[in-house]
Amino acid sequence: VDSTFLLRRLEAIATPTAEERAVLSSIPGTIRQFRAHDDIVRLGDRPSVVCLIVEGIAARYKVSADGKRQIMSFHIPGDIPDLHSLFIDVMDHSLGALVPTSVLTIRHEIMCSIVEQHPRIAKLLWRETLIDAAVYREWIVMRDRPAYQRIAHLFCEMFLRMQAIGLADGNACEWPLTQSQMGDALGLSNVHVNRTIQELRAEELIVLEGGALTVMDWDGLMQAGEFDPLYLHLQRAA
Amino acid sequence: MNLDFRPVRVATGSDDEEGLLAFAGERLVAVLVRLSNLHDDMAGSWFVEASFGLRDEHQTFTDLPSAEAWIRKHVSARFESGSGATR
Repeated sequence: VDSTFLLRRLEAIATPTAEERAVLSSIPGTIRQFRAHDDIVRLGDRPSVVCLIVEGIAARYKVSADGKRQIMSFHIPGDIPDLHSLFIDVMDHSLGALVPTSVLTIRHEIMCSIVEQHPRIAKLLWRETLIDAAVYREWIVMRDRPAYQRIAHLFCEMFLRMQAIGLADGNACEWPLTQSQMGDALGLSNVHVNRTIQELRAEELIVLEGGALTVMDWDGLMQAGEFDPLYLHLQRAA
Repeated sequence: MNLDFRPVRVATGSDDEEGLLAFAGERLVAVLVRLSNLHDDMAGSWFVEASFGLRDEHQTFTDLPSAEAWIRKHVSARFESGSGATR
């Protein structure tokens, strides 16, 4: 039951068979709970498990010599942000919980035997990994754009990703990220993040309150972020 | 080193318009902006909107003397350490 989100994630980007769906939704593992700011895996670790997020939000990050944290990606339920640890022994970055987060840890041997017995699942996970890389390409381009576009783009991306795994309710989804976490991901100061959110709010594109994001004008928000969802390779368009 | 502040209005595209140009002698080294009520608990703080040659920007200070001390420290390191200006 715990790995249901993995199934939902892969169903958003492909069409698994009934047999594959049965395997994906019942992968054995151990649930581990992390508090906000806890590390799930650290740079330099040699993991023997992969971590499937089942609740909360995690981020890949690095810390520079002067103590600045650069967040490289956000991960939501259904993501396995350290899947590459199956084939790359040492973590070259850290993965931290941004809010209270539950993770299903799956032993490497189990993941390996699943992909050996079900080659199509191996292809699905490969596709997922390639889309992860596509998101990185998008972020490289996005980080050169003005603050206004960057923030609107992040709202669009996260909303679609949440919606794809069934975590959106109409035009709203949870938004547990702080302005400081958004700033660390987008290379913006808290002040710029706050100003920009107020601007998007004043233009009636979004409402952000009580830990929830409501998209008031999807087309307007996409336009503000120059957002094209192509790189997410979702099967169902929003 | 002589540090001089001149009032200015800054077009940040938000309510944060009250600003100061910080000059080290004749050189403009920073543009400070006083944060408006837009920023809740940070309102009234001084934000380094832009800096020139100070190597670190976008800091926020609760009062002007702290901002001044920070600028002074960075400007000294930059312009009075001999090799600093060309580094």
